[in-house]
Amino acid sequence: MDFEVRRGECFGFLGPNGAGKTTTMKMIYGAAIRTGGELTVAGLDVGREERAVKRRIGVVPQENNLDEDLKVKENLLVYGRYYDMPRKETLRRAEELLEFVELTEKADAEVEHLSGGMKRRLLIARALINDPEIVVLDEPTTGLDPQARHLVWERLRELTSEGKTLILTTHYMEEAAQLCDRLVVMEDGRIIAHGSPDELVREYVSPEVLELRAGKDALEKLLPLVEDHSDAVERAGEALLAYTSDAGLLQDRIRDSGVPVENTLHRRAGLEDVFMRLTGRRLID
Amino acid sequence: MDAVRIPSPRGTLRVWQRNATIFRKYWKTALLPNLFEPLLYLAALGLGLGAFIQAGGVGGQSYVQYIAPGLLASNAMFAASFESTFNTYVKMKIERVYDAIVTTPVNVEDVVAAEYLWAGTRAALYGTGFLSVLAVLGVVFDEPLIRSFWAILIPPTLLLIGVMFSVTGTLFTSLIDRIDLYAYYFTLVVTPLFLFSGIFFPITDFPAPVPQIAWFTPLYHAVNVCRELAIGPSPGVLVDVAWMLVFTAALFLLPIYFMRKRLIS
Repeated sequence: MDFEVRRGECFGFLGPNGAGKTTTMKMIYGAAIRTGGELTVAGLDVGREERAVKRRIGVVPQENNLDEDLKVKENLLVYGRYYDMPRKETLRRAEELLEFVELTEKADAEVEHLSGGMKRRLLIARALINDPEIVVLDEPTTGLDPQARHLVWERLRELTSEGKTLILTTHYMEEAAQLCDRLVVMEDGRIIAHGSPDELVREYVSPEVLELRAGKDALEKLLPLVEDHSDAVERAGEALLAYTSDAGLLQDRIRDSGVPVENTLHRRAGLEDVFMRLTGRRLID
Repeated sequence: MDAVRIPSPRGTLRVWQRNATIFRKYWKTALLPNLFEPLLYLAALGLGLGAFIQAGGVGGQSYVQYIAPGLLASNAMFAASFESTFNTYVKMKIERVYDAIVTTPVNVEDVVAAEYLWAGTRAALYGTGFLSVLAVLGVVFDEPLIRSFWAILIPPTLLLIGVMFSVTGTLFTSLIDRIDLYAYYFTLVVTPLFLFSGIFFPITDFPAPVPQIAWFTPLYHAVNVCRELAIGPSPGVLVDVAWMLVFTAALFLLPIYFMRKRLIS
């Protein structure tokens, strides 16, 4: 695989579980050793200049590994010591960061009493203690409820507007569409597509999608007609997904044919469609 | 790729500080059981069994006087062994503390070295507490248990003993993947050492090859040093210290190698 992340952008790795996203992140922050190839972070070789690289990045791991023997604020203070930060500066920064992730009231709480969303926010604060140029986030919102997820997204957007470079993995298309300037889609340890979210939608799917739900026989009857009038058709269980640039015309034709359709949904194509086309669902066309 | 990794003093200090920060919160409750245990041995064996040992005791000392310094050494072994087995395992596999640390400029080798040093620190702290109690008991019962000013060298010795047993404990930890396997370490390594290192009876009086085997085990030398420092040392004690230093240095990098393989995929 070959990729380059630009300074100040949010770069995403998308892919199904087991595609190699986490391993790629671990290689960046030195928790996995690459067996070959080259990897430089901020111009430094990851293998040869391990400590210098780690000094310039912040890491939000997929699994919570906050120090449960330490209280919320202590987690940040002890972490600052690992970067040799002066005590006063760490203290000031810890307070700022707790404010930033809205955990100021929890400063003296035990970590185990935090909710999942709070733990994730504390992990983000911890990753920022050394004021890193690059923040690596491995599935930053997996397992969070929608409110907690939106709060995390807001904070991450603030970071990019401050000029930090974000590298994140996710399997939420909405997350990628909301946050990423550019992204790659991974499968089996390879990159199978790359571009901005808009570019990917333009390149891999047609702008509109018509989802048709009907009985099995009706779907069989519809298939040739739909295929004639769309760029691509996918079958997902009891539904046909037709990718087209003129959904109106297709809808008219379906009405004319007289085949009964239980439910029709007309929507714009999105990253999820790109993702499914590239990595999932069997294609019919 | 897998070159020998030498710990950095800076990273080692940072992780040691983390442990110290946490220890400061509960040192009082942690210290007590570690004081009681050697005192129980001292009471049960020193006074109880000692009453059946004929006048003259062992090598001119009463039985209590004989075993007390040895218990200092074994206490350090126990403290460092618990630290480098159960505690390290929980930090590594359950709390994932090390995973978080090694994403900072602190490397695996620093983490392992810090744990050695921390186990030594704990052993020295506990041991100093026990040493003070022994000194006081000696005065109270008018039967001095610590009879030489050389005893001020016992705390640094306990630090070395702690580091030594942390290296062996961490080696075991770096190789196992189930916490219940520590039963093997404690029944096959720690307990035999405790019983057959000359704490409770002079192992050198046994027929060959028992003394020879004992010479190749770490606690035997630790007991020798503590006992000699308690009564006034002979030059031979330097051999015991050298033995411990060589043993520790020889194994020092091995757990680092295995821990690195576990923490870095």
